[in-house]
Amino acid sequence: MKTRSPIFVILFICLGIPVALAQQTTTIGKGNLQKVNVFSSSTAINGQRTLTSTGFLPNYSAAARFLSQATFGNTYTEIQKVANQGIEKWLDDQLAMSNSFRIETYVQNLHQSMVDSLNIKNNVNTYTLANVGVSNWHFDAAWFQGCMTAPDQLRWRVAFALSEILVTSRISAFDGNPYALASYYDVLMDNAFGNYRTLLDKITYHPAMGSYLTFLNNHATDVGKQTYPDENYAREIMQLFSIGLYQLNLDGSEKKDANGQLIPTYNNDDIANLAKVFTGLSWGDGTYLGINAKDIWSYTKRMKFYGIDSSDAKKNPWKTNPRIVDGHERGAKTFLGSTVDPTASRTAMQGEADIQDALNIIFNHPNVGPFVSRRLIQRLITSNPSPAFIQRIATVFNNNGSGVRGDLKAVIRAILLDPEARNCCGDDTGTFGKLREPFVRYMNLIKGLNLTVTGGIFRNAMARVYDQTAQRPLSSPSVFNFYSPDYIPNGPLKDAGKVGPEFQLLSSQTLTGYFNALNDWLVNDDPTDYYGLFTGETYKPNQDPKFNTVADYVLTRNDRLPQLLDKYNLILANGRLSTESLNTISQAIKGMPYSEDANGVPNTTEAYRRVRLAIFLIMTSPDYLINK
Amino acid sequence: MNRRDFIRQVGCGAMGSTTLLSTLTSLGAVNGAMSGSASKLRLASNEDYKALVCVLFSGGIDSFNILIPSGTTVGGDNGFNDYKNVRSDIAIQTNTFLLPLNNPRCSGFRGQPCNYGSFGVHPTMTGVQNLFNNGKLAFMANIGTLIEPVMTKAEYQSGLKKLPLGIYSHSDQIMQWQTSVPQSRDTLGVGGRLADLLHASNSLQDISMNISLGGKNNFQRGKDVTEYSISNNIDPNNVGITALPSWWSNSGLMTELRNNAVDSLVSRTYANLLQKTYSSTTKSSIESFEVFKNALKRVPSMTTTFGTSSLAKDLQAVAKVMSVRNDLGAKRQIFFVNYGGWDMHDNLVNGLNARLPIISDALKSFYDATAELGIAENVTTFTISDFARTITSNGLGSDHAWGGNTMIMGGAVNGGRIFGRFPKMDVSNNNTQNISFRGNFIPSISTDEMYAELALWYGVSPYDLCYVLPNLRNFYSYSPNNYPVGFMNFNGTTISNVDNPQGCSTN
Repeated sequence: MKTRSPIFVILFICLGIPVALAQQTTTIGKGNLQKVNVFSSSTAINGQRTLTSTGFLPNYSAAARFLSQATFGNTYTEIQKVANQGIEKWLDDQLAMSNSFRIETYVQNLHQSMVDSLNIKNNVNTYTLANVGVSNWHFDAAWFQGCMTAPDQLRWRVAFALSEILVTSRISAFDGNPYALASYYDVLMDNAFGNYRTLLDKITYHPAMGSYLTFLNNHATDVGKQTYPDENYAREIMQLFSIGLYQLNLDGSEKKDANGQLIPTYNNDDIANLAKVFTGLSWGDGTYLGINAKDIWSYTKRMKFYGIDSSDAKKNPWKTNPRIVDGHERGAKTFLGSTVDPTASRTAMQGEADIQDALNIIFNHPNVGPFVSRRLIQRLITSNPSPAFIQRIATVFNNNGSGVRGDLKAVIRAILLDPEARNCCGDDTGTFGKLREPFVRYMNLIKGLNLTVTGGIFRNAMARVYDQTAQRPLSSPSVFNFYSPDYIPNGPLKDAGKVGPEFQLLSSQTLTGYFNALNDWLVNDDPTDYYGLFTGETYKPNQDPKFNTVADYVLTRNDRLPQLLDKYNLILANGRLSTESLNTISQAIKGMPYSEDANGVPNTTEAYRRVRLAIFLIMTSPDYLINK
Repeated sequence: MNRRDFIRQVGCGAMGSTTLLSTLTSLGAVNGAMSGSASKLRLASNEDYKALVCVLFSGGIDSFNILIPSGTTVGGDNGFNDYKNVRSDIAIQTNTFLLPLNNPRCSGFRGQPCNYGSFGVHPTMTGVQNLFNNGKLAFMANIGTLIEPVMTKAEYQSGLKKLPLGIYSHSDQIMQWQTSVPQSRDTLGVGGRLADLLHASNSLQDISMNISLGGKNNFQRGKDVTEYSISNNIDPNNVGITALPSWWSNSGLMTELRNNAVDSLVSRTYANLLQKTYSSTTKSSIESFEVFKNALKRVPSMTTTFGTSSLAKDLQAVAKVMSVRNDLGAKRQIFFVNYGGWDMHDNLVNGLNARLPIISDALKSFYDATAELGIAENVTTFTISDFARTITSNGLGSDHAWGGNTMIMGGAVNGGRIFGRFPKMDVSNNNTQNISFRGNFIPSISTDEMYAELALWYGVSPYDLCYVLPNLRNFYSYSPNNYPVGFMNFNGTTISNVDNPQGCSTN
């Protein structure tokens, strides 16, 4: 650290023990940056714990850096907390918390409040949930409410990462249905610290996924009609959700055959066979295979299995001899070198067992550990984890220490405590880190500036962040997410053979989009997008909050600017802005008007502009944008 | 990397810069002559302008429901009945609904005949029918990703032929259609490599030769050139970083202060490669905004009307950018447009009915706009997609397949014809082009051959084709009047003889 903030000095007494004293910097320095002295707080106990490495007390920058990986953003209070209690304690507390917020429930309550208000306002009782419309943004508002108020911040961050791996999106058949989005996201939230096998089951049976990857109402081969099972899910569950296209080593590298060629994990025959497995699933509230959704809540009910397709009979009850055929495809199905129902003994009605068998085969494929581990590391920590990092995490995925495979709680913990995540980048070189995702930057700002509402209710449709940066939860353009984990941008990363997934979303459009969105959020003081719930609703300004930066005004005088910049450098950029960047920003701010009254109170308009522009410049600096 | 470095690193044999510099001079001279032209709308008689427009239908468009055999002669050209039998519930059910194509002369390819003689297009595609019958649009039948020719199912299964990575996988096939290097997952795009060779012909380098309406893409990614991404709202006020609010008393000065700070933050030298990549991207984007903004102020009013779909708006924006090509200093431009949503595993019939007319209308409007600008002969538009879809149905939908049909449009296209070998609508083992019971066809033309023809037209010399298309020699080698496919009309166009990466065609 080149500069030390005054705040830091006040809270810690430097014991003057350099890292060099400790031989294992990777252990004792856990939570600390390299080349940073180990400090102890004034209490001897904590000091001892740090030095004996029974508890790791990170400095403020290290605490902020950890939180930037584990949450949607830092607040000063949370940084203090982590610095005081240590990373592991914070992490274990978070991992122990149960999911505290149900997005679907919140959407339903929002919906119900619309119904009630309309009935009262119009003095009728004719409005119901069924006839009052809702749209995507009710999900966005619910998501934002949860993320802003729930204490289990790690879960929120991990669920977002999962939503970029197990992708569904509103750009689909369920565009406009917030219940579908909410219900699917709740599955990711509920299972973020659960088992990956459970997660595979939950998404496979979720109608949003069934609809998104078109295996809902998927039908056994029908020779008469010359139709065959839909292959979409069979392909993507393997390619994107579990094993990928090529056989992997435990460290995530691709295996090669004797000729040095990559070894495909499956071929098109495997796909055709697995497609037969995913036949017979339909709406949970339906009555036959092939039926349409009953209503928008059909998207919240676990799909139901139909071995037999009785649609002809159900649709045409007058028929004396309706066409009854298999809905689920019977017979042995071989894929990934294993066979489901090898003796072809199951009836169509018993076919649901095929699905569980197939999920077991997929889940137990050796690729899953390195495949999922690499993606989670990329989402949380760094674009180019070392093979050793991937291998350590994949090992935990394969066995959490108690013989359990796929324990995400253990995996998340291992990722965030891994030496490569904690002790990285003291010299700022190399390729460590990742381009912060545009949506995460938005949340960094919201959290970092401590956006609060009186009354506790936010109403944020999160429209601008998507319009300007093309990212928002469950808004991916396709099942391939906003970017590929293997995307290689031109320039130095390409020359070095490294990936930079988030760069795939960075074009001259989204680049200026981000700048211009920041302008709206900060300079124009419009951080959220307040939408009316129904026509004629009274505007509720307390649900449409603004940033309050008044407390910073006193720091806008030229001689106090370093304190202002140190504060937001810590909160937003983990204290990683270089002296050079700080000088550039400081010079720009000093060029702006500043005056104060006889009592030394700054002119509020001028002070406002100085604060806002300082934050704008921090958030557009490469030192912030690449989270190292 | 500067241009000289690029030339050094092309790696196609020994490199002399003399020929290159002379090319630049000659290309630059024509451009210089144009810069004072008063006419913004019409192409000056001596203006050397060419543009390629790549329209991607991401998701894998069911192109066997775009170009459809229409014959009903039992025992003869019975294409429609073959088609209807095999496509069952996703077929157009009546042949008279098809919009007929006049004498399409389906050519066959690589010595193999076309399987049918008469064709129509999807009933909603009146614009495409019109363009085809007026000679402004051609089809390529059963084209797809290949490393080398694969003629039969037996060859496909033999293990002796190199096959593309991830056949049927969206992510691979959509990339390979843009790179034409199906054996690689890490390679440059065709449009990017074209621009690497020719970008110096544009007099202003602030705006890339490659302009994208579809954000980042593989197609336009070169070694030296990356895409410049724009939105279809090309109001000059919508370009670049918003100024600080006008009610700030010294808004202009403060904006400049802010912009200078941003500029200096991204101009620093960073050691971390991610920071380096971010800052250089930002810096080049910022430099481009001003030039682009000023050019857009000179877009003329045009009478051609466009629809309201995103495709129509994107193509309208392309036409407008073309109209200010001189202000952008552009003699050569490559545009990229993406119109997605074609992964119709379900609800295919309705989906196509709703969306194919959007394509058809937008293409027609765009052709008309280029005619209005007087550059119809100078603009060639082509469509690509991940793959075609299975001929058979999965129950009102279709799945991922391989070879499919694409369109090429423009005044310089030998339109009104079908190039390639339209496959027999037969999913049995008798059909050697077919490799699956679902109806997946081995492409009869490679993407390389299509791109090679476009590259020659665009001004790449035969010697340099190997830089653009590393696998091309598996399919084609140049000799005068022997074109890769034949869909471009080279009349009056001299094939370039400038050897940039010298002699690489002999590799």
